[in-house]
Amino acid sequence: MGSRALLMLKGASTMAVPNSQIFNFNRKSSSFGLGYCLSKVVITRNKNNGARSCSTTTTRSSLEPPDVPRLAETARISLTPNEVEEFAPKIRQVVDWFGQLQDVDLQSIEPAIRADTEGNDLRDDIPETFENREAMIAAVPSYEEPYIKVPRVLNKE
Amino acid sequence: MLSTLHPPRSLSRFPRYTLCTLTAQSSPSTTPPPHSQILSIRRALLSRQVTTTQLAESYLTRLRLTEPHLKSFLHVSDAVSQQAHCLDGKIARNEEVGPLAGVLVGVKDNICTVDMPSTGGSRVLDGYRPPFDATAVRKIKELGGIVVGKTNLDEFGMGSTTEASAFQVTANPWDVSRVPGGSSGGSAAAVSARQCVVSLGSDTGGSVRQPASFCGVVGLKPTYGRVSRYGLMAYASSLDVIGCFGSSVADTGILLRVISGHDRLDATSSKREVPDFASQFASINLLESKPLKGLRVGLIRQTLDDGVDSGVVSLIRGAASHLEELGCSVTEISLPSFSLGLPAYYVLASSESSSNLSRYDGVRYGNQAAVDELNSLYGDSRAKGFGPEVKRRILMGTYALSAGYYDAYYKRAQQVRTLVRKSFKAALDQNDILVSPAAPSAAYKIGEKKDDPLAMYAGDIMTVNVNLAGLPALVLPCGFVEGGVAGLPVGIQMIGAAFDEVLKILIAIDILI
Repeated sequence: MGSRALLMLKGASTMAVPNSQIFNFNRKSSSFGLGYCLSKVVITRNKNNGARSCSTTTTRSSLEPPDVPRLAETARISLTPNEVEEFAPKIRQVVDWFGQLQDVDLQSIEPAIRADTEGNDLRDDIPETFENREAMIAAVPSYEEPYIKVPRVLNKE
Repeated sequence: MLSTLHPPRSLSRFPRYTLCTLTAQSSPSTTPPPHSQILSIRRALLSRQVTTTQLAESYLTRLRLTEPHLKSFLHVSDAVSQQAHCLDGKIARNEEVGPLAGVLVGVKDNICTVDMPSTGGSRVLDGYRPPFDATAVRKIKELGGIVVGKTNLDEFGMGSTTEASAFQVTANPWDVSRVPGGSSGGSAAAVSARQCVVSLGSDTGGSVRQPASFCGVVGLKPTYGRVSRYGLMAYASSLDVIGCFGSSVADTGILLRVISGHDRLDATSSKREVPDFASQFASINLLESKPLKGLRVGLIRQTLDDGVDSGVVSLIRGAASHLEELGCSVTEISLPSFSLGLPAYYVLASSESSSNLSRYDGVRYGNQAAVDELNSLYGDSRAKGFGPEVKRRILMGTYALSAGYYDAYYKRAQQVRTLVRKSFKAALDQNDILVSPAAPSAAYKIGEKKDDPLAMYAGDIMTVNVNLAGLPALVLPCGFVEGGVAGLPVGIQMIGAAFDEVLKILIAIDILI
């Protein structure tokens, strides 16, 4: 298990590996061929603990890889160009690793929303007054009684 | 210097413990209590041997002395002495005091406290003061506990070392060049260094259990639904739980009882009765030679392969032999789907976090960027407020939930969750508890895994499946491996059936500190 999990982690790498990525594993991983994500990664460390070589041959999923700028827009996070460049390979690597989930036969397995089987325990839909409104309002960054202030909305060109 | 905080100990394979259990022969009322700081404090206070003020002062002195080296706390309360005085007044007047009377409690900073800042370890909430106490905190206060401060964590619980905290990195008291674990690293370190008696953490993928192992303390992850999540800043709502740290199993059990119970403010909280965990204990002196006779222990084979530190494997196997000596029947068992749990967990956790963290928009609370357009307000407030790991997870989650990808990732991860639940259930039908390490190694050096997210995630393999299945698990120290100043602690994880966290698990080995 432990080694398999580690191997699976290293399995998904792109052809163009940025120089800045450091692989901390000091073991060789071998190819594991089944399923749609095939890869062979050989990473060895030299004496000075640098990654000596990293070569991969991979088959990728047919799903579109993550478009980081577009995801950032959806998630409303303004990334700098540096961040986009830095995050893209790391995100790609993790998403490729997620690809293992496609290998498994999950026919007729019910998805579980959460672990417990106790069912939802909802209280009556009756409004109640929260007793500490002053503190809630004090936490608002920009308040002008009785409005929470935000800047205007501009139409995108 | 910090090595002197802990008594010198030999690197014995399996330290001698005080064993506590309940047998048909012993009756709890006539047996002396187990090793418990909380109970010792209570006895000392009620017998007037010491005052709460003196006790609090001694903890605070130690806290101040060690904090520059450990950095466990993001905020230390300035009301501790006042609360201690108040309790002394009650005791002097012979009034009833709660089971946590005089006990200093650390609270992870993603758990809301009304009288102290709660940042979640993030700049986006720097300076935020919640308008309410989390239910778990309210219960602690109602029962006499004193919240000494808010402990450091990886931002919003996303991480395994506290290196992802926006504010500081906590050091492991056993070797300050090493991580305490995470995300509840501050809470674990604080109890380990005796800066407080017990502490609260949260566990979404192992964030109580792994730091407990790294810091040599007891850590308990309750069954999902056992403790209300009201006031816990949500990371992954289907996986999050509030958990406890203590220096003994008894203390952890006492704290667990205080914070457990149904809460109408948490729709996922269970209505099941909360057992009086601590009353299950009895002293070893009165027990027969094989006190754990009949207990079936399953050792999870997948957690003892290569990839796990050989020192750790050796300690776990040693602990298993010790359990056999105490009467357990130990068998190796296999959990299919075990390794799939890790990617499934990260898909579910990042997806749910992308949704849960969308509330940090700079509008109603938290830090707000100064811009003149609304979308920039969201984008910039979040860009400035969130750290890189949080941003990456939100982006990965956004991807996994996007139209066209939901079935491929999120839905499949949910299906894997079903598989994991079923395989645990099958194993727990045949065994009373399952055991494994809590982490593949002892604490590693600060900075060692910081730049490689996947290497960091790999360390969670021992713990995430338990969150997927919603089961309870207890981690307790079981020995040391070479390394650090005087050896590095390792914990054994004991997993129980749902809501059974204690009845069988606390038939457990109390630790010697």
